Amino acid sequence: MSLTPQTDWRASIERRLTRTQEFVDDTDPEALAVVLVSMGSLLAAFVGFLLASPWTAVPLGAFLIATGYGWARHQALVARAVTFAMTTVTLVTLGLIVVFIFAESIPAFQYETASVFGVSVPGLGMFTQARWDAVSEPVRYSLLPMIHGTVMVTTIATLVAAPLGVAAALFIAEIAPPRVRELVKPGIEILAGIPSIVYGFIGFTIINPWAGGAFALNGGSTYLFVGIVVGLMALPTVVSVAEDALTSVPDVMKDGSLALGATDWQSMTSITLPAAFSGVSAAVLLGVGRAIGETMAATVMLAGIPRISEPLVNVFYGYETLTSLIARGYGSANGVHESALFAAGVVLFVTVLCLSIGSQYIEARMRRRLGGVE
Amino acid sequence: MSRATQSVLVRDDRTLYEAVAGTAVGLSGVAFAVGLAALLGVVTIDDPVAGFELSVAFGAVLLALGASVVGFGVASRFGYVDAAPQPSAGIVAAAAFTGIWFAVGAIVSGAVGFGTGGRLGVGVILGGIAFAATAFPREDIGSTVPAGAVAGLCGLFLVTGVVGPGWKQVLVGYNAALFGDTVVPLIVLFASLVAGWSAAKAYGGFGARGRNVGAYVLIYLVVCSILVVLIGLVGFVTVNGLPGLFNGFGVGGAALISWPFLTNGAGLLADIAGVFPALVGTVWLVIGAVLFAVPTGVGAAVFLSEYAEQGRFTGAVEVATNGLWSTPSIVFGLFGAAFLIPRFGNQKSLIAGMLTLGFMLLPLVLITSREAILAVPDEYRDASAALGVSKWQTIRSVVLPAAIPGVTTGVILGVGRIAGETAPILLTMGGGVLPAKSAAPNVLSGFQLSASPPFVSNPALLEATSALPYQLYALITAGLSGNIQNPQEYAWGLALTLLLVVLVFYAVGIATRYYFRRKLHQ
Repeated sequence: MSLTPQTDWRASIERRLTRTQEFVDDTDPEALAVVLVSMGSLLAAFVGFLLASPWTAVPLGAFLIATGYGWARHQALVARAVTFAMTTVTLVTLGLIVVFIFAESIPAFQYETASVFGVSVPGLGMFTQARWDAVSEPVRYSLLPMIHGTVMVTTIATLVAAPLGVAAALFIAEIAPPRVRELVKPGIEILAGIPSIVYGFIGFTIINPWAGGAFALNGGSTYLFVGIVVGLMALPTVVSVAEDALTSVPDVMKDGSLALGATDWQSMTSITLPAAFSGVSAAVLLGVGRAIGETMAATVMLAGIPRISEPLVNVFYGYETLTSLIARGYGSANGVHESALFAAGVVLFVTVLCLSIGSQYIEARMRRRLGGVE
Repeated sequence: MSRATQSVLVRDDRTLYEAVAGTAVGLSGVAFAVGLAALLGVVTIDDPVAGFELSVAFGAVLLALGASVVGFGVASRFGYVDAAPQPSAGIVAAAAFTGIWFAVGAIVSGAVGFGTGGRLGVGVILGGIAFAATAFPREDIGSTVPAGAVAGLCGLFLVTGVVGPGWKQVLVGYNAALFGDTVVPLIVLFASLVAGWSAAKAYGGFGARGRNVGAYVLIYLVVCSILVVLIGLVGFVTVNGLPGLFNGFGVGGAALISWPFLTNGAGLLADIAGVFPALVGTVWLVIGAVLFAVPTGVGAAVFLSEYAEQGRFTGAVEVATNGLWSTPSIVFGLFGAAFLIPRFGNQKSLIAGMLTLGFMLLPLVLITSREAILAVPDEYRDASAALGVSKWQTIRSVVLPAAIPGVTTGVILGVGRIAGETAPILLTMGGGVLPAKSAAPNVLSGFQLSASPPFVSNPALLEATSALPYQLYALITAGLSGNIQNPQEYAWGLALTLLLVVLVFYAVGIATRYYFRRKLHQ
């Protein structure tokens, strides 16, 4: 192909246009009109909702009527259009999340402008000093103490969830006899179902007072135990994703190894685990994402003071994480303070989204390497 | 896993050596269990055992374990037993023991009073020795002597009382202290783990088979601990919550069953405080989220797997879906607060909570529905197409019915997950700490028509409403106190109610899956 990228691009648009033309020619004009009205009014309703217009109900009603009529008369085409509209909802939601939490966080980023080499960078002040105080002067909104807390909790949680999760996934995928697996797998799913506020409640009423006594602490909030609890909560994610990766390794590979006289454990460590390595690391990444985003247990169990622990690795005191900062502060905050909470949300969202996209990339690579096994 | 190993290839000569090694594995298992009980406070370390304190008994057991583990290795090395050791214990074991002995050296020298430099030095020296002792000799020595030495050293500390009841170590600078009550069980757990692994390897005769046994012992232990934690958690909440949940419960009388905890509010008029408003709030929340997310998610799954060509668009949707799935719940809460609240009357409201949870539920429904639709065999579609049926007819009458089991399971599990979410509704729905019965939302009869835009309104949807997880959070932040008789008991009852609501969803979801799977395999 000697086409330059530009002509290639044009050709593809032209192809698409001809295809649309053919589609329009082939379709019943009435059906087309109904679909156009229905989709147009849906779009209008969405725009109306975005503008917070009280008239949103009108296009919404028009959409319902047009779709209802079309459903009765031209079901196939309407179904296709409506399912397409539903598909865009995920994209739109993600877009709206990005727009709204970024927009709300702008005042805080502007407030915390700091200059580096004479260039003023908005938001840099959140990361170059460690003072968060929304009440007394000087009012500063540093996210560093909360980032420190999140890193502490996530590190401990990963130390708990990653080895235990991978071991449990190996057990379910490779070791357990079928009957035991049928018991263990739902058990771990149920572990995922225990609401985080219940963990937090147990942590608040049982673990915190115990830790305060057992380590002679001043108070009972510790990053150590918040991390362990959050690790337990991230565990099911690690187990289920890692187990998927392990079972997607073709049986042929394992059978070959076993036929050579290798033990089960040798097959696992030299065939299954290396083949599924990307999937297992994606599982750990997703678990890390869960741990970073875990809110309620941290909110309830931590002290709620934005401060960096002394020394840095002191796991016996727990102050605040990004998530608990938002959960605790939202509602009573306003102005720049509220905006700073959105800035914390932006940091969380971007971090976790990067982890998610990274793990998807790793998983896709693994699928390619295993030769299209899915 | 392939089942190619099911045929019996195991040696069946039970030797004395294997019996002793098996006993050692069992003994470390017992030590581990009792250590766990001591850590959880079921037993205390100064309880008398056969005339000694428990911690001294622990020490004796660990000493014996250490000695026997070393004995296994030596016996194998000098050829007294029939084992198949490899030339080296391997790099993983070497790295592990280097780390362990580095830590032992650093901790012990720190306790003796060395500075940072001294601790590092001692740690590095011990770690280096451990590395040499693990990596260079034959496997039977390399994987027993360092392990036995760890267990023996720990046992020595406990037997001599260097660490025991009343022992205390202040962590300078950390504003914390370690006590024997917690450290002794931890030492026992750790040492019995190491010794048990080593003994299991000896039991398997070292080599490939020994490693297999050693690894299996560790993995079984991990899985058992996870299950114990799970059962312990659920059991603990149940035991603590039952008194609150069944406070005033009675069968018979005018109402047949009276269950005040579930049917009362918490106001002054209620003699027994209940969670009725929050329960109703949770029910409406789930209904709203399902009404929004399930049609949308299933429709999107149909479009993605039946209509759309694989390309940039489907790729983007997939990335967005997985991104939404892992987005922290508090970010959804922020989004709902910034996006939905200004559009629904500028205050926390039931409908804002419903939609926020709907946004959270959407990726769960989409992912599971898509999997279920993709799992429908192509033969079904081909057969239907061969009958001359249109594509939409095929989807509606063949693909969707075949995918319903998977979709249902996914929806139920997803609902179980969002029913327990607190963070999003904390920011979008609010509600009172102890709402009276009249605060329960009355959605059905609340719809009103009007002549001016927006034409349809429902005040019940626009009010701040409590839900079970939010009420539990609000109670905790209120310091577990309030204008009711026994706030502690009330809070535990509330926690149990929430747990039961969520677990019922999970149980039903898992049962549905098994039911349909069994039907499929008949």
